[in-house]
Amino acid sequence: MSFKSSGNSGAFAWFYQRITGIFLFVILLLHFTIMHFTGTGEITYENIVGRLSDPYWKMLDLSFVVFALYHGLNGIWMAIQDYVRSEGWRAVIYTILVLVGVFLFFLAAVTLIPFGLK
Amino acid sequence: MSLYMSPKYKEQVLDRKRWFEWDYKWFWGSFAWVLHRLSGWALVFYLLLHIWVIHHLSRGPAAFDQVMQAVGTPLFKVLEIGLWGVIVYHAFNGMRVIIVDFWHGSKYQKQLFFIVLFLFVVLWVGGGIIMALHMIH
Ligand code: HEM
Repeated sequence: MSFKSSGNSGAFAWFYQRITGIFLFVILLLHFTIMHFTGTGEITYENIVGRLSDPYWKMLDLSFVVFALYHGLNGIWMAIQDYVRSEGWRAVIYTILVLVGVFLFFLAAVTLIPFGLK
Repeated sequence: MSLYMSPKYKEQVLDRKRWFEWDYKWFWGSFAWVLHRLSGWALVFYLLLHIWVIHHLSRGPAAFDQVMQAVGTPLFKVLEIGLWGVIVYHAFNGMRVIIVDFWHGSKYQKQLFFIVLFLFVVLWVGGGIIMALHMIH
């Protein structure tokens, strides 16, 4: 069987869902462990801001946000394609997902970036 | 895309029963998949809420303390233990999906699912106990 790629086959989404999944596996379990199990990360303003002043934590947290938003919203998009057939509704939903992603990335970025730089 | 669809393909793939139809025939793989989809959606809604809550950091310590107090009630603490279960299931079943897709794991997909269920129970209960103890102290 020979295929011609339509350029929109979903193979990209499928592949990156798995790549981001592997990254999230490591970072999400680490994140939860630090926050809830080891007692190293009591959730106070001082503690968090102290960590965020370290550029490595900052970069890690920013990439965490990007990967999680991409993986989550892309996952919703893959499921939507299973259930919604109409092109019009797909376009509406896709636009909403992109806007939600951009808005939350913005919210996270303005929160994470300034600490330690002021 | 113009693919020829044999009547058999049409019958087995396009007209197959869906998991939300009452006479759908369940098997282990479909059970694993439905749970994965539901847990994925739950995690997305949690993530949206989480970013919203944490962004209060940028409004200073007072605003942050206030929002943390609102989500620090016993109800939220119990929900957090539930969240841990959802995370563990999605994370380990997600790794199972990846193993099945990339490393010929389909031969062992069912055994892998039992391993996922085992890890899920152990880690959820273990983590849940630690979280419950933190809650009491
Ligand atoms: C902890 C590590 C994680 C791993 C290993 C992982 C893995 C995966 C994989 C492999 C898929 C594709 C399933 C398929 O194509 O059948 C998937 C789907 C999905 N994931 Fe994750 N994931 C993780 C974390 C997350 C997080 C944090 C979120 C939420 C922000 C999330 C939300 C979703 C959603 C909504 C789907 C789509 C479900 C579907 O279409 O059936 N995942 N995940």
